[in-house]
Amino acid sequence: MPEPIDVVEALLFASEAPVEAERIQEVLDLPSAGQARELVQMLSERLDGEGRALQIIEVGGGFRLVTRPDVAPWLVKLARSRTRSRLSRSALETLAIIAYRQPASRPDIDAVRGVNSEAVLDNLLDRRMVRIAGRKDSPGRPFLYETTRDFLVAFGLRDLADLPKVEGDLVIPEGPPDAPGDAAAASSQSEAGETSPDAATDAGQQDPGAGGAGVTPRG
Amino acid sequence: MTTQIPETESQGLTVRVESFVGPLDLLLHLCRTSEVDLANLPIRTITEQYLAHLEAVQFQDLDTAGAFMVMAATLIYLKSKLLLPVDPEAPPDALDEEGELLRQELAERLREYARVKALGAWLGEREAAQALLYGRTVGELPPPEEVPLEDLSVHLLQRALTRLIEEQKRKAPRQVEPNPLSVLERMGEVIDLLRHTWSMLFSSVAGQERVRAEWVVTLLALLELVRLGQARAHQSELFGEIVIESVPPAEGAPAAAAPAAAANEVPIPGESA
Repeated sequence: MPEPIDVVEALLFASEAPVEAERIQEVLDLPSAGQARELVQMLSERLDGEGRALQIIEVGGGFRLVTRPDVAPWLVKLARSRTRSRLSRSALETLAIIAYRQPASRPDIDAVRGVNSEAVLDNLLDRRMVRIAGRKDSPGRPFLYETTRDFLVAFGLRDLADLPKVEGDLVIPEGPPDAPGDAAAASSQSEAGETSPDAATDAGQQDPGAGGAGVTPRG
Repeated sequence: MTTQIPETESQGLTVRVESFVGPLDLLLHLCRTSEVDLANLPIRTITEQYLAHLEAVQFQDLDTAGAFMVMAATLIYLKSKLLLPVDPEAPPDALDEEGELLRQELAERLREYARVKALGAWLGEREAAQALLYGRTVGELPPPEEVPLEDLSVHLLQRALTRLIEEQKRKAPRQVEPNPLSVLERMGEVIDLLRHTWSMLFSSVAGQERVRAEWVVTLLALLELVRLGQARAHQSELFGEIVIESVPPAEGAPAAAAPAAAANEVPIPGESA
């Protein structure tokens, strides 16, 4: 009969997604999730104590069994490739905005970044770092984006509270409506608000992704 | 993406800036390098530096270029306001109310962007650290019978549909092109036929349907065979039927000087024996 701690090790080894304490509790028929946590803690200490190449990390609300960073060079050699595709700076900034302001729409993101984020968002959607959370109740009904569990796993975060604290909220610049140099990105909202009802319906029917920084400048 | 490559030269440190992810990025860089206070954005100097940098910036697309231009327009507008005398007693960098509002808004956006940039950098470091940890991404456990719907989104559904349509397109019936006629193949066919009969009609080889390509290829094949001394052809009248005859072995041998032609003839007597 294997010990519960060994079963936990097997669960973490075989699972492709982080395993939650509740799931361990359920599989092992434990009376509480706290006991599951304890088992994971014991296993983690055992791995550390034996100086094994594996360690347990807590990400995305669950536990993962992963290799230690110091064996990475050999794994790169094994894979015969050192390319682990990384996100671009644009993508990281976009993710940061979404992570702090979830859910955030593309006009919001564009306004903060000052550039069109459509391609970046597509990439993040493809990588499942963000997902569509719904539509914003504003002109054009743009999609709202939020981060996924894959995002937490990719960045080694237990949950969103693991993100560094920022003083105050991220403010979305609205821009005074009469400012001639108002950034194109921010103007998409106010612009749609000024147009006739017919035009507003038109804007609602087209792909919300088509709005944003591509709008015609005024004046 | 800003890549700053410090190059130590005799004159000192030169920093080459390759590209910026947006106008705010560039503006922030200018403010940082000239160590100005974001709250008191010096419009004059910053505008000049911004415009000078704009020429060096590589635009990825028209949208990005447009965003840079909008910022340039804002800066120029602000600078133009500085040139107009508002109040002779005001300090030289004073703006009117609207300009001041615009400058404050710009400063606020810059502060905001600086924060996002820092967060992005923090995420980048996390990502780099996580890239050193390897775990399973594809398990060998069978998939659960009940698929959780929590991580699905409209976007994934749309992707799946697009993929399906693409696959269907690939499966569409393919137009098969007939093999182009080959003179060499036709020559082989004629020789094969001549093994069983010593005489035949041209039309029986080329086909009664008079397909132009068929007839041309057959004629060329026949002429080539005659040239090589492997067949003979008669035509009793103009536009009349051509009769193809096999060449008796004794006659064919001296006509063909090339060893290849001689080799071709070997099967013929062998077949008749």
